[in-house]
Amino acid sequence: MPNAVEVSGLRKSYGQVHAVRDVGFTVGYGEIVALLGPNGAGKTTTLEILEGFRTRDDGTAEVLGYDPGERSSARELRERTGLVLQDVAVEPYLTVRETIARAAGYYRAPRGVTEVTGLAGLTGLERRKVRSLSGGQKRRLDLALGLIGNPALLYLDEPTTGFDPAARRDAWQLVRGLRAAGMTILLTTHDMDEAQALADRVVLLSGGVVVAAGEPAALGGRDAERTRISFRLPAGCTAADLPVSANSANSANSANSANSANGMVVVETGTPTQALHRLTDWAIRRGHVLAGLTVERPSLEDVYLELTRAGAPPAPERIMR
Amino acid sequence: MTTAVAAPRRAGRPAGPPAGSRSNLRLLAHQVRYEQLSFWRNPQSAVFTFIFPVVFVVIMGALFGGIGKSSYFGGLSALQYYVPTIAALSVLGSCYGQLAVALAARRQAGILKRVRATPLPAWAYFAGLLAHCVLVSVIDIALIVLVGRLYGVPFPSHWLAIMLTLVLAAASFCALGVAVASVISNAEAAPAVAQLVLFPLMFISGTYLPIHSALLNGVSGWLPVRPFNEALTGPFAQHAGADWRDLAVLAAWGAVGAVVAVRRFRWDPRPE
Repeated sequence: MPNAVEVSGLRKSYGQVHAVRDVGFTVGYGEIVALLGPNGAGKTTTLEILEGFRTRDDGTAEVLGYDPGERSSARELRERTGLVLQDVAVEPYLTVRETIARAAGYYRAPRGVTEVTGLAGLTGLERRKVRSLSGGQKRRLDLALGLIGNPALLYLDEPTTGFDPAARRDAWQLVRGLRAAGMTILLTTHDMDEAQALADRVVLLSGGVVVAAGEPAALGGRDAERTRISFRLPAGCTAADLPVSANSANSANSANSANSANGMVVVETGTPTQALHRLTDWAIRRGHVLAGLTVERPSLEDVYLELTRAGAPPAPERIMR
Repeated sequence: MTTAVAAPRRAGRPAGPPAGSRSNLRLLAHQVRYEQLSFWRNPQSAVFTFIFPVVFVVIMGALFGGIGKSSYFGGLSALQYYVPTIAALSVLGSCYGQLAVALAARRQAGILKRVRATPLPAWAYFAGLLAHCVLVSVIDIALIVLVGRLYGVPFPSHWLAIMLTLVLAAASFCALGVAVASVISNAEAAPAVAQLVLFPLMFISGTYLPIHSALLNGVSGWLPVRPFNEALTGPFAQHAGADWRDLAVLAAWGAVGAVVAVRRFRWDPRPE
C-alpha cells in the first residue's frame, strides 16, 4: 500500500448541483494533507465520500486499502479511521467520561479513556454533563471521540472553527504530535494560517475541481512569484523619479490604484535584493524617507484568492459544505 | 496537552479479539447499558414514559372504578378492561412513539451520524434500543398492574402469555417506530406525525372506549393496535392463553415496519 488515501476522477452531483466534478489527490502514510477551498468548493463532500457517508457518482477512491463505498468492509475501515466532523453530536445527558467510554466500547483495540481525555485537553471535565459544555469543549470532545479508536487515519473537518487563538495553537500542537507518532491526517479548512501551519501538502479545491496542489510554500508557483516592495512615495517625487524600472512601478501602480491614491507605491520584482538596494541607496542619497516600507512574498491567501477566483469554473449555486 | 502517542497500526488485521458471538453479546450489553444511562438521566423521557400511563389508570379508576362486570365492557369490569388497554397504550408510547421521536431528533442533531462513524454494527444499535424498550415496557406494565390492584383488579395469572405478547409487540412497534422515523426527515414534525397516526388508531381499537361497531372492529382487527389490546386483555382478564391470530397480525405489522426501516433508514441528517 503506497498511500493511505488515493482518489482520482471523483465526481458527485446532488440533482443539478455538481458538488464534486473531478477531484484527485493522494495522502501518504504519516502525512498531513489539507483540503483547502471556499464554501461550496466540494471539500466536505469529498471527505464524506471517503468516510463512507456519501456514494460517489464516478471515479475511484481507496482508503487504507479499502473502497469506502464497499459495505462489506465498512466496519473494518471504521475500526481504523477516526473522524471529527462539524455536524456530529453526542447524547446530552451523559458525562464527558461516559461519552468517551461508550465510544471506546465500540472498538476492538481502543486507546485508554483517561489518555484520550488528556490528549483532547478535557482533564478536569470528566464528570461534566455534555450539555453543560461550551462550544469549544464540545469540539474537543469530538476530537476525543475521533481518537479513541486509535485510528491510523484521522479526518478533521474544519477542526478549529470557533476556537480562540490559544485553543487553536493547542489544537495545532496536538495534531502535529499525532502526526509525529505516525498518524495520517486529512483535514479541511478555509483558514490559510491553519493550512500553512499544519499541512505537509495542500490540495486547493474550487468549484468541485482541484485547482492547485503542493507544499504550502510552493502552492500555485508561490515560491517563484515576484516579491512586492511597498512604501509611501516621498513628497515631491513621482513614480517616474524612482530608480527601479518604471515598467514594474507602473504595473504595480495600476494593480494597486486604490493604494496609490494615498501615495503608496508597490514595486513587483523578481530580483528583490538588487531592487531594494537601488531604492534605499537612492532614498538615502536624496535624503528621502521611504515611509511604511515593507517587503513581502505573495501570501498563501493571495495565491488562494487568485486561484479560486480566476482559474476555476463557476462555483455551484447551492452551497454544499 | 501532552502528545505522547503510540504509533498506529499500519497494515493487516489489527490485534484484538475476533468478532465472535461472545464479543457481540458484550457489545450488546455495553450498548444497552449506555442506552439506559442516557434514558434515566433525561428527566423528560422518564416522566412521560412512566407518569402518563399511571395517571391515566388513576383517572379511569376514579371515573369508572364503581362499574362492575357489564356487557358494555365485554363482560369485564371497567378497570379489568382499562388495565390491559392502558398497559398496551404505555407500550405503544414507549416503543413506537418515543422511538420515532427520539430517532428523528438524534438524526437531526447528528448523534446517529457520530454512531455510524464508529465500528458499532447497525444491528447492535437497534438491538440495544429494542432491549431498552422492552425493559421500559415491563416497568410500565408492572406499575399499571399495581395501580389496578389498588382499584381491586386482581393480578393477572398468565404471565408467560403476557411476556410473549409484550416482547413480540415491543419488537413490532419498535420496528414501526423506526419506520416512521425513517420516513420523516424533519425532527420537529416527528411527534405530530407519530401521534397523528397513533391517536385515531387507538381510538377505533377500543383503547379509550369499547367499540361496538362490527365494521370498525373488523377493520381495526387487521391494524396493529386492536390485536395487541386483545392479546393483552386475554391473559390479563379472561384467563385465556396467548391469542395466536392476534399475535400473527402484530408480527406481520412488525415485519412491514422492519422492511421499511431497513430500506429507508438514514443516519445522516442531510439527505444525498
